Amino acid sequence: MNGLMLVARREITTQIRTKGFLIGLLVTALLVAAVSFAPKIFGGPTSYTLGTVNSQQLPLQAAAPDAEVTWRSFPDENAAKQAVLAGDVDAVLVNGVKVLTDGEIDPQLGVLLQSVNKETKLGAAGVSIPPLQMQSVGADTRYEAARAGIAVVLVLLLFMLLMGQVMMVAMGVVEEKGSRIVEILLSTVRPWQLLGGKIIGLGVLGLINLVTIAVVGLAAAMVSGLAADFPPGIPGLLAGVLVWFILGYAFFATLSAAFASLVSRQEEVSSVMTPLTMLIMVTYFVAFYTTNDATGTLATVLSYVPPFSAMIMPVRMAATEVPLWQVGASMAAMVVAVLAVLSFGATVYQRAVLRTGARLKLGDVLRTR
Amino acid sequence: MLEISDLRKRFAGGPDAPGGKVALDGIGFSVRPGEMFGFVGANGAGKTTTMRIVMGVLQADSGSVSWQGRSLGYDERQRFGYMPEERGLYQKMRVAEQIEYFGRLHGLGPAEAKKATDDLLERLGLTERRSDAVQTLSLGNQQRVQLAVALVHDPEVLILDEPFSGLDPIAVDALATALQERCRGGVPVIFSSHQLELVERLCDSVGIVSAGRMVATGTVADLRAAEGNSLRVVVRDPSPGWADGLPGEVTVFGDRHTLRTEGGDDQEILRRAMKAGHVEHFGIEQPTLTEIFKEAVA
Ligand SMILES: Nc1ncnc2c1ncn2[C@@H]1O[C@H](COP(=O)(O)OP(=O)(O)O)[C@@H](O)[C@H]1O
Ligand SMILES: [Mg+2]
Repeated sequence: MNGLMLVARREITTQIRTKGFLIGLLVTALLVAAVSFAPKIFGGPTSYTLGTVNSQQLPLQAAAPDAEVTWRSFPDENAAKQAVLAGDVDAVLVNGVKVLTDGEIDPQLGVLLQSVNKETKLGAAGVSIPPLQMQSVGADTRYEAARAGIAVVLVLLLFMLLMGQVMMVAMGVVEEKGSRIVEILLSTVRPWQLLGGKIIGLGVLGLINLVTIAVVGLAAAMVSGLAADFPPGIPGLLAGVLVWFILGYAFFATLSAAFASLVSRQEEVSSVMTPLTMLIMVTYFVAFYTTNDATGTLATVLSYVPPFSAMIMPVRMAATEVPLWQVGASMAAMVVAVLAVLSFGATVYQRAVLRTGARLKLGDVLRTR
Repeated sequence: MLEISDLRKRFAGGPDAPGGKVALDGIGFSVRPGEMFGFVGANGAGKTTTMRIVMGVLQADSGSVSWQGRSLGYDERQRFGYMPEERGLYQKMRVAEQIEYFGRLHGLGPAEAKKATDDLLERLGLTERRSDAVQTLSLGNQQRVQLAVALVHDPEVLILDEPFSGLDPIAVDALATALQERCRGGVPVIFSSHQLELVERLCDSVGIVSAGRMVATGTVADLRAAEGNSLRVVVRDPSPGWADGLPGEVTVFGDRHTLRTEGGDDQEILRRAMKAGHVEHFGIEQPTLTEIFKEAVA
């Protein structure tokens, strides 16, 4: 146990001290914050600047609570025209009967002005119209867009973190094998401690990344007001994503260590890792596809099949309400897969890591003891 | 006492050796505390394989290794120091941190590891370089760090695979002194080497291995006695045929004739030589380790 923790701690302190790690963390944090603020800066809540010439201001704010409405008044139509053409105002209401705009009016603003105008006139005439009550008899679709967006972001995040950490594991294994330091290491720690310590250490770094992203993202979303659009259950979703990251990472990182232990030079890492990176990519693409159709058969079936479940179950969890037992069953299947991969990976690693030189064949390693 | 008995190891065959390759065919020897044991043999004889098995890095097919009467496990090996034939350090890690890390892996506490590291750095003259990355060190200094990694936990047993290879004469002396110190402290030291004069100078006992078998073990004196002394006579410009009928072999270099023999009547030989010419040298000589080695593996 001691050996395992010492190895893990070395991985963490070594990586944290590199410039690359801190810069990477900073860049992701900034990126996440930028993404959270983007809707406000670009799309943002709509804002209208309106003018009046010899008219009452219409109660637009009551009809469109999300919009920001500012009013200005002009002495005459000419002054109003100039302001419209200069782009100072979006539209000007003249004498309560006519609206001046530069080109076609913004359709939403047009509908808004028309209906509020009618309502005010009718109200003045003593007619009151109760607003229509909207009622959905289907699923709650209020948060559909937000949910789909969150699912896409999650999948991308899981993919990038898994890929990044898994490559780090591979490079670390080859560093130790190629520099032959592994022989001294294995004379003091057991192979599973060396392998496990590396995987745990780099996994903790991945978690630090993930938590940073989650915290920065949530904080930025609160500040920017984006969080108001979030569906309920975000904390649960984040907890789920952490668990799925750990499971997915354990699966891929163990395989990565096994594959990497077959080669002795950094230049050979990417080629020996190709099958594994392909598997991660395929998992990502399928998961990305299912963000469009999170309730479809493909998503439902693959959300139980390791290692696809590591990315697809989070998509389903983000996009719809998934019963707890389904999440549990899928996690159990993944845990079994992780255990199988651990025993396979440890065997390959143990047999291959001391055999430096030419690239080994997986089949040969499994056959000979 | 470190006892190695009847180790056997066969490597699985590759395309070039389908039947597999027998690397060790019954290797056995023992080393007492405070004894320096030289392990010699041609390339491919099985030295590295033997040491790897002792260190638990490889598993033997059969045979056993025991230390102080107990068979070796991970816990015992934690207190061993090892320098593999293929050196290796974390190139980007700082010198002191690296040594400390290995101290911790060998079971030292944080404070102990730090103190042991500081002491070693001081003794090896690396104190100024303690915060530098290993890759910025000269090869000689990297070798010292490698030694420090093997010594940091004050090992009970030292196993070094060709520790002198690639060292300049001054570094050889420094390493020899360091090993002798440990040895005097009661640590059994095993090292392999091709530098037989060095082995002869340093070691209390020697094991000669050839093709996976021990062909000779014992103290250098025992091996010499077994090999037998030889008589060497050098005569300048002797009359032709002076050595006819004498045992041994004559080699001629210029006008100097050298007779070397392991038997015969030395007084008779001396008389004949003096009669034949000018005797420049007459003496009993002990065989060198090189001669013993060549004889043993022949
Ligand atoms: N991992 C291995 N796989 C196959 N053969 C090996 C392996 N390691 C060593 N050998 C073979 O075992 C024999 C002994 O090698 P080694 O112990 O390295 O000898 P030495 O250290 O005395 O030079 C050699 O013939 C070598 O080729
Ligand atoms: Mg060797």
